[in-house]
Amino acid sequence: MISSLPKSYRTEADPLPTPAPDRTTAPTAELPIKAQLRSVGFYYEKFQALKNINLALHDRRVTAFIGPSGCGKSTLLRVLNRIYQLYPGQHATGEVLVDGENILAAGIDLNRLRARIGMVFQKPTPFPMSIYDNIAFGIRLYERLPKSELADRVESALQRAALWTEVKDKLKQSGLSLSGGQQQRLCIARAIAVQPEILLLDEPASALDPISTQRIEELIAELKGDYCIAIVTHNMQQAARSSDYTAFMYLGELVEFDETERIFTHPKERRTEDYITGRFG
Amino acid sequence: MVDQAVGNGKGSPDRGYGRRSVRRGDRILSALFAGGLQGFCYLFLAVVVGLALELLWGSRLSLRTFGLGFLWSTQWNPVTNQFGAAPFIYGTIVSSTIALVLAAGIGVMAGVFLAEFAPRRLGVALGMLIELLAAVPSIVYGLWGLFVLAPIVSGWIGPALQAAFGFLPFFQGTIYGVNMLTAALILTLMILPTITAITRDLIAAMPMRFREAALALGATPWEMASKVVLPSVRRGIFGACMLAYGRALGETIATTMVIGNRPVISASLFAPGYTVASVIANEFTEATTNLYLSALIELGLILLVVSLIVIGIGRLMLRLFLR
Amino acid sequence: MIALSIPARRQLNSMLWTGASAFCAIGVAVVLLLIMGYVVREGLSALSLSFLTQLPRPVGVPGGGVANGIVGTLIVVGIAALMAFPVGIFVGIYLAVYSHRRMAKCLSYLADVLAGVPSIAIGIFAYTLLVAPFRHFSALSASFAFAVLMVPLVIRTTEGAVALVPRELREAATALGAMEYRVTGKVLLVAARPGIVTGLLLALARVTGETAPLLFTAFGSQFWELDPSKPMAELSLQIFTYAISPYRDWHEQAWGGALILIIAVFVLSVLARLSFLWRGGTGISGGTD
Repeated sequence: MISSLPKSYRTEADPLPTPAPDRTTAPTAELPIKAQLRSVGFYYEKFQALKNINLALHDRRVTAFIGPSGCGKSTLLRVLNRIYQLYPGQHATGEVLVDGENILAAGIDLNRLRARIGMVFQKPTPFPMSIYDNIAFGIRLYERLPKSELADRVESALQRAALWTEVKDKLKQSGLSLSGGQQQRLCIARAIAVQPEILLLDEPASALDPISTQRIEELIAELKGDYCIAIVTHNMQQAARSSDYTAFMYLGELVEFDETERIFTHPKERRTEDYITGRFG
Repeated sequence: MVDQAVGNGKGSPDRGYGRRSVRRGDRILSALFAGGLQGFCYLFLAVVVGLALELLWGSRLSLRTFGLGFLWSTQWNPVTNQFGAAPFIYGTIVSSTIALVLAAGIGVMAGVFLAEFAPRRLGVALGMLIELLAAVPSIVYGLWGLFVLAPIVSGWIGPALQAAFGFLPFFQGTIYGVNMLTAALILTLMILPTITAITRDLIAAMPMRFREAALALGATPWEMASKVVLPSVRRGIFGACMLAYGRALGETIATTMVIGNRPVISASLFAPGYTVASVIANEFTEATTNLYLSALIELGLILLVVSLIVIGIGRLMLRLFLR
Repeated sequence: MIALSIPARRQLNSMLWTGASAFCAIGVAVVLLLIMGYVVREGLSALSLSFLTQLPRPVGVPGGGVANGIVGTLIVVGIAALMAFPVGIFVGIYLAVYSHRRMAKCLSYLADVLAGVPSIAIGIFAYTLLVAPFRHFSALSASFAFAVLMVPLVIRTTEGAVALVPRELREAATALGAMEYRVTGKVLLVAARPGIVTGLLLALARVTGETAPLLFTAFGSQFWELDPSKPMAELSLQIFTYAISPYRDWHEQAWGGALILIIAVFVLSVLARLSFLWRGGTGISGGTD
């Protein structure tokens, strides 16, 4: 089943290094497309939650998904790492090409896929283990590192998530002992510790208090430029501030997709304009 | 800081060592886990099915020999190899039914008190106490029943009942200590915690607004409890009673110690009796012939079927109610 | 009876019935307490070091103890736990994680059914399976019977505990690329541990003191026996044998044994309740920002 896969998703592959593009000077339009969605649909049993979604996620850029509740933005995110496969009766149609490979095809190694596409959920979900083990969990799944190197990876992930100074003296304590905002940053650190290629953020700040929300937003701004990020958010100001591209969805359809600046200043669709100006939803 | 190349495999490109073995170990563990899950599920299935099959198989001799008549034959004679279930079915049903009636009455009242009227701390404490006591093994109840309750029944309760209600056939005859009444009383004590706890839980789960509505109309506390609360949890309580009934039907040790163990059908509650579970317990190791053993196993089968039906009804009622 | 106005009569009625219900509740608790008190009182007089450490003596000979019964109970329950816990936990996990599958619905129903089977019937099952074919009684057959009694309880409590773990936790672990065995082992089971442990303790409390199946599986013994393939002494069996005997000093020993039993069951029940409160389940945030 796995033999027909291209190298990158096979289990015994040796990856080929390619030079990193110079991200500081390349204009937006020239950045490679990391993920291409073609005619993607999604069904909860008989109910169609996503209809004919076509868009592209650019590498090293942030794409925000906005829209009223129930429009399917979280559903779309969950298609990208196929987490919906945990539940029977949910299935996706169409194609999602990541680096040219359709991840919705049969025969894809789901575990490996999820190791390369990270996700942070709305509710903070620290594992019932120490802070250190929380971060190391994902790394240990696929890499056998010597202790010192593992510790370095954990530290750098926590630093990037702006959590290191707060927890560096209590790495052995349970992840559950942290506050809500800290737990969410822990989850972000956990996701980036495995060096994913795409980072999916499902309303990461919506379950937090305003101060934590602000810190998470700052964090996302810092992470942008290193990862291909797709973020679902209810907060339009956040979308306008920190994203490069924005997708407006309504009732399972992609109404408009464009560079953020253009969508917020000159939206092409009436519905987009109504939503952005607060006339509904 | 992030200097990995785009579109790479996991981790740094030249960190290739160890990856292959991690994956293989993973696959073995994964297969073991999935296999273990499946295996234990099938094992469990096999045990349950095996239980039914073994009981059926063990009773086949008796089923063939006595057929349906087994159920109402009153013969129980190991010497002539004549066996019938009637005395035991009678004993089981009578003792359990009396216990149910008594326990339902007292237990529901107790449950109402714990859920409705008891001051918070008292209710919690009493509730915990009753639940803890529900865990007491039946042998302890049997012991107490044999040495304490039986003399009380033969010494006080029995004569009192006979004096007051001696015109009824139930309270006539010689008063033995170990008899149907003692067994029924012990069973009552044993199933009381179940009925009390479930009643209390069902009532406590009722939303406050029903009570407030009743009280606002001028009902007294008891009227609210008996006319509003209890009727709405009626089906759930019935389910709880069925569960308790099933428990009483299957109770072995406590009844064996206090029922007298004589296979006679008598109207008098003061006479000894015999339950299905007790005869199996007492005579299983004494069964000298295959037919004897098979008859006992058939009794076990009957007990199994009846308890399952009763408990099944109880659980169904509770489930329907809670939905 | 003086003519009370209607509202007052209803009030009186209410008070009487409420009082009756209080009487029932307190009465039940009091009666049960009295029984336990009686057992404690009678049992204490029989408890002594020699009671706990010596073998039974033949009737008429004073002294003797239930040491082999205590050891036998520990062995039988211990082996039963070894049999029942893995089955119960795995099936419980299966029911919680794959609850939509038909096999899961079937197993769930069967677990409920098995929970209602009288212990004597399970004893017969153990007999036909493990005693009759080998033509001798054994502690192992008793352990099997106990295991069958324990499994439905462990299944239900494990399923409940695992089902309570928020599904986001499972998703988060899966989203990192962890395989199912790791998600279950390192995340789900750890989060559900307090509930599972409670279930295990409750199952132990359930079978400790169970007597009926032992009558024709372990059968009992007068001597030390550590070999599970042989008949073995069991505390609850000894209590039963002593109680129905006509000998006074055996009756006293029966009380002593009963006291040991209720102490053991009590300790297990309390531990079970405590283990659930301590740790408190899946845990939400503990600190402040």
